[in-house]
Amino acid sequence: MQPANKTQLQLGFVPLTDSAPLVMAKELGFFQAEGLDVALRKQNSWATLRDKLQVGILDGAQMLAPMPLASQLGLGGNRAPIITPFVLSFNGNAITLSESLCRELCELHGLPLNKLPLPLPASLLKAVIDKRIQEGRPAMKFATVFAYSCHYYQLRQWFSDADIELGTEVEVQVLPPTSMVAALHEGVVDGYCVGGPWNAKAVRAGLGLTATSSCDIWPDQPEKVLGITQSWMQANPDTTGALIRALKRACNWLEELPNRFEAARILCSATYLNADLDVVAPTLLGSCLVHQGLNPRTISAYNRFRSAGQEGNNNPDSYYGRFLLNQMVEAGHIQLSQYKQIDSEQVFRADVYAQALRREQTAVL
Amino acid sequence: MNSHPNVADKVLEILLIDDDLDRAAAFSSALDHSRYHVSHLVSSRTSLLREVDQLKPDIIVIDIESPDRDILESLSTLSSFNPKPVVMFCEQDDSQLINQSVQSGVSAYVVGDVQSARVRSILDAAVARFQQYQTLKQELNETKHKLESRRVIEKAKALLMNKKNMSEAKAFNTMRKMAMDSGQKMEQVASTLLSILNTLDEKE
Repeated sequence: MQPANKTQLQLGFVPLTDSAPLVMAKELGFFQAEGLDVALRKQNSWATLRDKLQVGILDGAQMLAPMPLASQLGLGGNRAPIITPFVLSFNGNAITLSESLCRELCELHGLPLNKLPLPLPASLLKAVIDKRIQEGRPAMKFATVFAYSCHYYQLRQWFSDADIELGTEVEVQVLPPTSMVAALHEGVVDGYCVGGPWNAKAVRAGLGLTATSSCDIWPDQPEKVLGITQSWMQANPDTTGALIRALKRACNWLEELPNRFEAARILCSATYLNADLDVVAPTLLGSCLVHQGLNPRTISAYNRFRSAGQEGNNNPDSYYGRFLLNQMVEAGHIQLSQYKQIDSEQVFRADVYAQALRREQTAVL
Repeated sequence: MNSHPNVADKVLEILLIDDDLDRAAAFSSALDHSRYHVSHLVSSRTSLLREVDQLKPDIIVIDIESPDRDILESLSTLSSFNPKPVVMFCEQDDSQLINQSVQSGVSAYVVGDVQSARVRSILDAAVARFQQYQTLKQELNETKHKLESRRVIEKAKALLMNKKNMSEAKAFNTMRKMAMDSGQKMEQVASTLLSILNTLDEKE
C-alpha cells in the first residue's frame, strides 16, 4: 500500500496578473473538484518563495520559469531539485520607460510622442546613452524583478538586438514589482521590465511609456511555471496529477474572453492583487496600454495561459528548459559546464504532465 | 570569550530594514553595549541599494517576508554588486525549517526571536561564516584560474610540438623565452600562440 497522498495544500503565489490560473482554480472550485483543499499563500519575494518551497513550508508554488533550473544548480540559494510538471503562463511582461527618458528620446530624435515606432527598438536609446556619457551624467539604469527571470533575459535580449550590453552600457538592478512604479517616479531607474499589472499602473499614473512587450521580444515562451520539489512529487503522485488537472481546467477556462474579465475582477480583490480593475483588466483582454496620451496597442497574446496554436496546452516541453538554459548562458549567469550538467527533461517534466492528463481522458471515457 | 578574535574589536555596522517598529526597537536594544551599531531603515524600497552603497554595512538584517529580500539576494547574484551577509527574521515556527535551506546557501541566517540572547551569537556566526565563505570563494577562483592557465599552456605546447616538430622541452623553453622577452605571463604567450596558430590553420 502506498502511503496516502497529501490533500491539504499550501500553494505560494506572487500577486501578479499571471497568477490567474492558481487563483481561478481556487475560486471556481477546480481544486476542490479534484479532492484538494488548497490554501493560496501570497508571497512578496521570489527568493523567500523558493526557500519555503525547498523546505516544504509550501507544497507548490507559482515560479518564474528559470527558477527550477536555477534551483537545480543552486544559483542564489540552496541547491535543491525543483521540477515543473506544468506551464502556468506564457508572455505577460513588458518594458516601460520613464517620462523623462521618453521626453529625452523624442527630443533627440526630433519625433513627437505619437510618431515613436512601437514596439520601440532599443536602438533608439543608443543616442540617449551616448549623450549621457558625453555630458558626464550617470549611466542609464533599468530594473528587473529577479536575476534568474525571463524579465532579465528579455531586457538583455532587447538591448542586445541593438548592440547595447546590459550590465555595462546600461546598468541593471533588482527591485520588487511593488517598488517599480515609485522607482520610475523618483528617477531611481529610467525603466524596467516587469509583469502585470505594473506596466499598466505606470501608464495610468502618467509616469511612463510601455515601449515593448515580451510578446514582441520572444513570443510564446513560458513565463510562470508550477514548481514542486522532486521528493514531494514522488511522495504525492496522485496529488501531483490532481493539481495538474485542476490547473489545466483553469487555463482552459481562461481561454474565453468573457471569462478573462471575470478573472480580472477577482484578481483585483485585496486577497489577491489588491489593485484597480483598470490596470489588471487590459492585458488580460489583449490590450497593452502604451502612454496616457496614446491609444493602447492590441496584443491579443499578451497574457497567454495555454501555448499558442489551436490545440494550446500547458505541457512543460523540455525544449523550453533548453531555451532558458541558453538564455542563462548568454547572460553569463551559468557556464557551459553547468549547462551540460542539467538534463532539461528531468526538470521540465512533460512525462508527468502527460500522465496526469491521460488519467483525465480515461475518466471521461 | 569571543570565538572570532580577528573581528572582535571592530565596530560592525548593521543595516536593519524593518517596518515593524517594535521589533526593530527590541532588536536594537538586544544589541546595546555590543560591538554592533544599528542603522534602521523603514520601507527602504527604492533607495535600498543607495543606502547599502553609502553605509557599507557589515551585515544586513531584514524580515524574510519583505519584498526587498530579492534586492539583497541580487547583491550576490548580479556581478556588479558586492555580496553581503544577510540575517533574516521569520516566524518562530518556520525558523528551524528555513534555516536548513538558507544556511546551506550563500550566507544567510534566520532568527526567530529577536529578543533572545541568541541574536548576538547569530550575528557573530553570520559575519564569521560570510568571511570564511568569501575566502573560500576567492581560493576557488584562484585555483580555477591556475588550472585554466595550465590548460592553455599545455595546449599551446602540444600545438608547437605538433606543428613545429619540437620536443616537449624545446616547446616549453620557446614559450618561456617569448614570455621573458616580451615581459608577459606564460599564459598570455600561450593564448596568443594558440590564436595565431589556429588562424593560420584556418587560412591554409
